[in-house]
Amino acid sequence: MSLLDCQGLTKKWGAMIAVDQVDLSVNAGEVVALIGPNGAGKSTVFNLIAGATSRTAGTISFAGERVEKLRASTLARRGLARTYQITCLFPQLTALENVRLALQSKEAGRLNPFPSAAMAKRTTAHALEWLGRVRLSSNAHTLAGVLSHGDQRLLEIATALSSKPQLVLLDEPTQGMSLDETRATVNLLKELLQGTEMAVLLVEHDLEVVFGLADRIVVLDQGRKIADGLPEAVRADPAVQQAYLGVGNAAC
Amino acid sequence: MNKTALPLIVALAAAPLVLSGFQVTLLTEILIFALFAMGLDVQMGYAKLFSFGHVLPYGIGAYVTAFALLHGWPLPLAVGVAFVAVILLAVPMGWLCTRTSGVAFAMLTLAFAQLGYAIVFKWTSLTGGSDGLSGFVRNPGPFGFEGFVSREGFYWLTLAVVVGALFLAQAFMRSAMGTAIVAARESEKRAVALGYEPRSLRVVAFSVSNAIAGLAGALHAGFLLFVSPELLHWALSGHVIIAVILGGAGTLIGPMIGAALFVLAQHQLSAITDSWPLVMGVLFIAFVIAAPKGLWGMQESIRARLAHRKTNRMGVTNVAP
Amino acid sequence: MNAWQLLLTLLLNTLALASLLAMLTVGLTLIFGIMRIMNFAHGALYMFGAYAGISAARLVDSFWAGLLVAPLVAGAVGSAFEYFLLRRLYKRDGGSFLLITFGWALAMSELVRLIWGSNTRDVQLPEILSGIVMLAGEPFPMYRVFLVVFGSATLFALTYAILRSRLGLLIRSISQNAEMTHALGVDVGAIRSLTFAVGCGFAGLGGFLAVPLITGYIGMGGAAIIDSFVIVMIGGMGSFLGSAVGSLLVAATQSFGNFYFPDLALVVTYLLMICVLLLRPGGLFGEEE
Repeated sequence: MSLLDCQGLTKKWGAMIAVDQVDLSVNAGEVVALIGPNGAGKSTVFNLIAGATSRTAGTISFAGERVEKLRASTLARRGLARTYQITCLFPQLTALENVRLALQSKEAGRLNPFPSAAMAKRTTAHALEWLGRVRLSSNAHTLAGVLSHGDQRLLEIATALSSKPQLVLLDEPTQGMSLDETRATVNLLKELLQGTEMAVLLVEHDLEVVFGLADRIVVLDQGRKIADGLPEAVRADPAVQQAYLGVGNAAC
Repeated sequence: MNKTALPLIVALAAAPLVLSGFQVTLLTEILIFALFAMGLDVQMGYAKLFSFGHVLPYGIGAYVTAFALLHGWPLPLAVGVAFVAVILLAVPMGWLCTRTSGVAFAMLTLAFAQLGYAIVFKWTSLTGGSDGLSGFVRNPGPFGFEGFVSREGFYWLTLAVVVGALFLAQAFMRSAMGTAIVAARESEKRAVALGYEPRSLRVVAFSVSNAIAGLAGALHAGFLLFVSPELLHWALSGHVIIAVILGGAGTLIGPMIGAALFVLAQHQLSAITDSWPLVMGVLFIAFVIAAPKGLWGMQESIRARLAHRKTNRMGVTNVAP
Repeated sequence: MNAWQLLLTLLLNTLALASLLAMLTVGLTLIFGIMRIMNFAHGALYMFGAYAGISAARLVDSFWAGLLVAPLVAGAVGSAFEYFLLRRLYKRDGGSFLLITFGWALAMSELVRLIWGSNTRDVQLPEILSGIVMLAGEPFPMYRVFLVVFGSATLFALTYAILRSRLGLLIRSISQNAEMTHALGVDVGAIRSLTFAVGCGFAGLGGFLAVPLITGYIGMGGAAIIDSFVIVMIGGMGSFLGSAVGSLLVAATQSFGNFYFPDLALVVTYLLMICVLLLRPGGLFGEEE
């Protein structure tokens, strides 16, 4: 049974169809990349799954339960984490506090109105550990809003992964990064995912990242799914090459 | 609480033994206003909810206490029931007001406060209208306890309540819920992505803030033994906002210092000049432009910068926050 | 007087009051539209314009002098405040604007009291505006008719200017996307300052026009700012149509309310705003949040 199972996912904005009868599934421990030309509906699918947008039709099952009516915050509590295309952190809080809050939100005492020194110590220690893993230790006490763009993306990945979600939605994680930063991030992600059962649904434009990380690739074009399979098969698929209008580039 | 707090509290506790009666009265007034301002800081400094109607819970707390005292209830009970009444009102009101944010929120809270003012002013049979309510005393009890009836006794009660409230508020802001409230104001989207509900958190912040203001109002009634619609006038909402900015929003202690300065300035300046509101307004503008962190906020940043520089020089990279 | 005459009287009172409120609120809307600032000092400027206009009118013994001076003085004061103080806050968050205009309101109200004293002030109406007009058998003060005519004309002229003139186009484009407009080479800062001054000027004009109706008194600023905020909340921030409709609604509740439930009129106004905000947080014509 798959961890995430979307059947017939559809989203219409009035007469405009953004997502059209998309079937999508992700298994535990799997990295699935969602690609497609601009306007294909990738971000909309993301928002539908994460509960940020309401669907017009279709069903979404997560960990065996139907979740399409749930709110984004409820889904997050059930083990769904996400990053955003435009970096979304707590800007006036330090990098450390950003990660610590992510850890705190998963504790039983996440809404405890009385301070708990034990929880504070525990979450701080884990947060520092995570910052170490994404190589941001030296910036632990820097305000998140002041970090460089690349570091902010890393911090966002840390906050998403540290809460030990069952499924992580990564929205263009390497967007705006240089070539070196991108390669380093891909390696980092591989490292962080190793040995865990975390599933990843990844939206990316950078095909090097896609082929570097994905176990399976789903291709959207104009709201419809046109391919779904192993990377090599998708790369060779004529329909996919057609959709990209000849963007079967040499870098792949 | 930090190290400077304890000697200060002890000094304040010993104050009535060395100060004149008038000074004790002034100190009581300062403490009540400081509590009022600290309450506002919870929603304004931490949740960034700019309430222009903070007088509403203050006034309600005061009037309910007055009613209770007029009916012979012991003072602690009167204050307690006023506290509960304010909370019961704050939660639904907070739920309504947090439907909006920013300026709209400020205006909605102002509207509710104005509504309160109008009702208190017009409903003469209940509230005494513009004449207000008087003729009540600090009823002793329970069990005939009379410690707070005297001026000094009431001062000590006020001091105890204020210190206790500050301690609880600080603990609350340090707790998981407190940090979540701050997170929700920093980025609603990210807070949602962490599984928090920003709106509910805002309602909690609003309610806690109002509860503290209600407590301050209750103490006010017990202090002056007189309540009038002036307690709900929007100018007073303005005064407490000034106190928060002056002292430093988001620090809890800062607004209390700002409140003390405000009361003292008000007393001193009104003796010298007729137009101390002008001085206050100009000072306020100066602070908003040049010192937005307020006095306490500024000394905190200076201290943090010095500490950072020291540890950098020492080569320490892992500093406890 | 029979029911129809009563209704007519109340309606005409509503229109006159609405004209006044609209004059006050349109400046606020203009400023919010282009700068996204709620000018808390708008009421104080209203009062300032009223008093300055009264002094000017007394000086040359002409009501019309006051009508001219009030908006100019208010606009000048607004301009100076924006140039020297407000500009420093453009990089900060919205909360600072709310606070600083509040401080300005406080300081300016006190300044008015210092300069002109605490007594109420009045202005002499010229021959042409005093007196009575008979409408459907009911006497109606000429001044109120003047208010409706002058108010509507001014607002119509402003709307026309915003919709048709080049400056109006620039103002509208800055309201929608300041950065884009700036990228097109427009001096956004200058237009913002100009618009702010005009907005303040309208407040001053409204204040002076209000004097024959409510007399000039310390505290008229406070009442005005709350009224105008209520209207803007009901109508929707940044919407002229909203300001117009809001003004009519509030004027109606106050005119009819004052007649039928004198003690509750104020309460009804606030309840109206609370209801609107609960149903549509952005106001009737405002941007959906």
